[in-house]
Amino acid sequence: MIPLDPEYGPARTIPHPVLFRVLDAEADDATVPKDLPVAKGAEWAYYPGCIDYYDREMQFSHLNYGDTDHGIIFDSSIKLLKAVGIEPAILDRSFMKCCGHDQLWQGKLDVFQTMRDYNTKIIRMLGVKNIVTSCAEGYRTFKLDYQLKGVKVWHITQVLYERGLRVPPPKDGKPIRVTYQDPCRSCRQMPVDPIYDEPRELIKRVQNAELVELKTFRGDAQCCGVAQMMYCNDKTKGLTASRMDEAKELDVDYLLTACPKCLTHFGCLHHENRWKPEEERYRYRVVDITHFLAERLEGEAIGKPPSVIPVAQDPRQKGAKGGA
Amino acid sequence: MEIKAVREGVYEDRAGFPRQYGPERSDHQPGIPFWPHEVYRDLVITFLLVAILFFLSAFATPLVGPSANPAVQPYSVPDWYLLFSWGLLKIADLFPVIHVPENFGGGTLIGTEIDAAVWGDLLTAIPVIPIFLLPFIDRGRETRPAKSPFRAAGGMYMIAFVFFASVYAANDRIIATWPFIHDDTLKWLFVVPPTLVLVASYVGIRRLGFRDMYWWIVASLGASFAIVSLVAAQVFVLGPWAADGIDPLTRLAMLPNNPAAHPLFAFMIIVLAYTGIVFFAAVALRERKAKQWVLFWSLFFFFLAVGLVKFFADTNPAGVGVALEVIAYHGNWFIAFPLFSLITYYVGTRTPYSTYEYLLNECYQCGKCHTVCPVTKVEDDALGGLNLVYNTFKKQHDGVPLWTCLACDACSAVCPLDIKYSDYILEERSKVMARPMAADGGRRSAE
Repeated sequence: MIPLDPEYGPARTIPHPVLFRVLDAEADDATVPKDLPVAKGAEWAYYPGCIDYYDREMQFSHLNYGDTDHGIIFDSSIKLLKAVGIEPAILDRSFMKCCGHDQLWQGKLDVFQTMRDYNTKIIRMLGVKNIVTSCAEGYRTFKLDYQLKGVKVWHITQVLYERGLRVPPPKDGKPIRVTYQDPCRSCRQMPVDPIYDEPRELIKRVQNAELVELKTFRGDAQCCGVAQMMYCNDKTKGLTASRMDEAKELDVDYLLTACPKCLTHFGCLHHENRWKPEEERYRYRVVDITHFLAERLEGEAIGKPPSVIPVAQDPRQKGAKGGA
Repeated sequence: MEIKAVREGVYEDRAGFPRQYGPERSDHQPGIPFWPHEVYRDLVITFLLVAILFFLSAFATPLVGPSANPAVQPYSVPDWYLLFSWGLLKIADLFPVIHVPENFGGGTLIGTEIDAAVWGDLLTAIPVIPIFLLPFIDRGRETRPAKSPFRAAGGMYMIAFVFFASVYAANDRIIATWPFIHDDTLKWLFVVPPTLVLVASYVGIRRLGFRDMYWWIVASLGASFAIVSLVAAQVFVLGPWAADGIDPLTRLAMLPNNPAAHPLFAFMIIVLAYTGIVFFAAVALRERKAKQWVLFWSLFFFFLAVGLVKFFADTNPAGVGVALEVIAYHGNWFIAFPLFSLITYYVGTRTPYSTYEYLLNECYQCGKCHTVCPVTKVEDDALGGLNLVYNTFKKQHDGVPLWTCLACDACSAVCPLDIKYSDYILEERSKVMARPMAADGGRRSAE
């Protein structure tokens, strides 16, 4: 292969947004904070990963007027875990670093190794026995790329399925059609414990939900278009669009996924789609599976109620709707 | 209609939609069976070769000279490719002579006793029989060395065994040329070097299959260190001066006055220190650091040993003679084991680049990966080619596809040979990104 130059070669096509510069710089500071906000020896710990960070720093939810709110995944996961009797210790980014998935797949092996060593040290210090993540990339990274012997890594759907999550019957019995996008990281790329059946079983536990499959699914599922936050352009958007068109053909009410990256890019396109003529719009909601399930549990509501779909007019003219 | 099929989930049972995914899948048998696809062609070639032989022997008979006289020793040397058989005949007298009961098998089957000649014939068959049996035993899926490391290592063992048996066949010549080599040392050639070749090949071939070989390296190097230590201790307690009937402790106390002991002690320390350092490097150091250590200490001890031989040859010629004789006598341990440590360490920590070269070379361009690749549907560069990664590997691209790849692994999921393309992507991207950024902001490379 022709050697590539990271500054002026083809590698230039990777966007190195400020976010990743910041994360790389952050990884260098490996000092462990004195007093961790989490009690030691927790049986279960929840690792939210970068979802709330994306929301606050990258301001995705501001860009798309709050339609795709990543922070909801965090709240929903905690609510769901509590519903199956788990009070997790929360390993948030105040003292943990990113899992390093994006850095690894962008080729920044050294940055990844710093992050991995730091996180492993903290996890060992806390003596956590089970790590739950709501993110497909985090699941793969913790399970395969970290060496966490003695710590069991779970995707949240696995925990909910094994613990027998009960979804109460809906108040209005209006039937809904739901489809599920298999994230490549937690499905095809997992040689051990791929997650194919757990989310589908969980969806079937919602009484008024009918699960339909996209054109390609399980191991053959087409990618959502963008992985590891690289190379977002019209071509990758074309892939995302083709995937969302499949869902549109199926005439579904919900497109679910278990990966925040899929959610980001589906949500981005979904938002852009609102300016299209009425008949070309996507009429379904794009939500994370945790959000979908948590909405259907009893207790306090998660997030804000879904914005009107389809949107009647251009949201920019409505002023402060969900924006900054 | 299609939507209906998808809704009812009937695609899963269709041909071409695998129901198992990942390396554990068992629903396909890649490769072409030997029978009967290759047999016809091979039969034609075999008959052609036989015809050529018949033709040559009929019309171009070579002059082979007078027939050999078995009573005259130099004339009974077999051809080089049968030396192993001769070597096995030579050590056959180590085996016990078994007297066959009277009238066993009618009294004519194998004669009256199983002696060295019979043992030699039986041993000769050992390297040959597996070769004949292999096609009948191994009828499974296509197996490359990296995919069945034990079988491949067994083959290496057999090659080494035949080689060292051939070396032993010349034992009288070797001893006549280098009188300090003992026949016992040569006899151990049948056991020690082939076993070391077996272990080192197994470690290296497993590593070729991209498996972590840390514990194998630690175990092999630790065992070699332990064995060398034991043999060194045994040499010092019962060394070449052991025939004098003094008890070992007194003899050890007298060793400092023995001029032959000094060079021997120095050489043995070198061997021990070397195997110990390689073992330590494998256990305690990180891979890159350990490689530097092993390289440095290999060169250091090699030159140290050469220098010491020169030094002792000048100051203490009798002593160095005894020392070298002892080292040569225990050459199977003091020479083979340090070499084994070095080779095992090297083959067990080979960098993964060659692994991917190896694994991607398995590709037989069926093109399934191209069919499923989502990028090829939208990217103009990628149209018409095979897998993006494969093209990059084959240098049929400028490297851009490596970065266009989504690493969604759809290609690996359909690959009939289970090649993990995404691992290759990881490897190559990290190699590119690990380069330091240009200090001048890239201006120099832009020129």
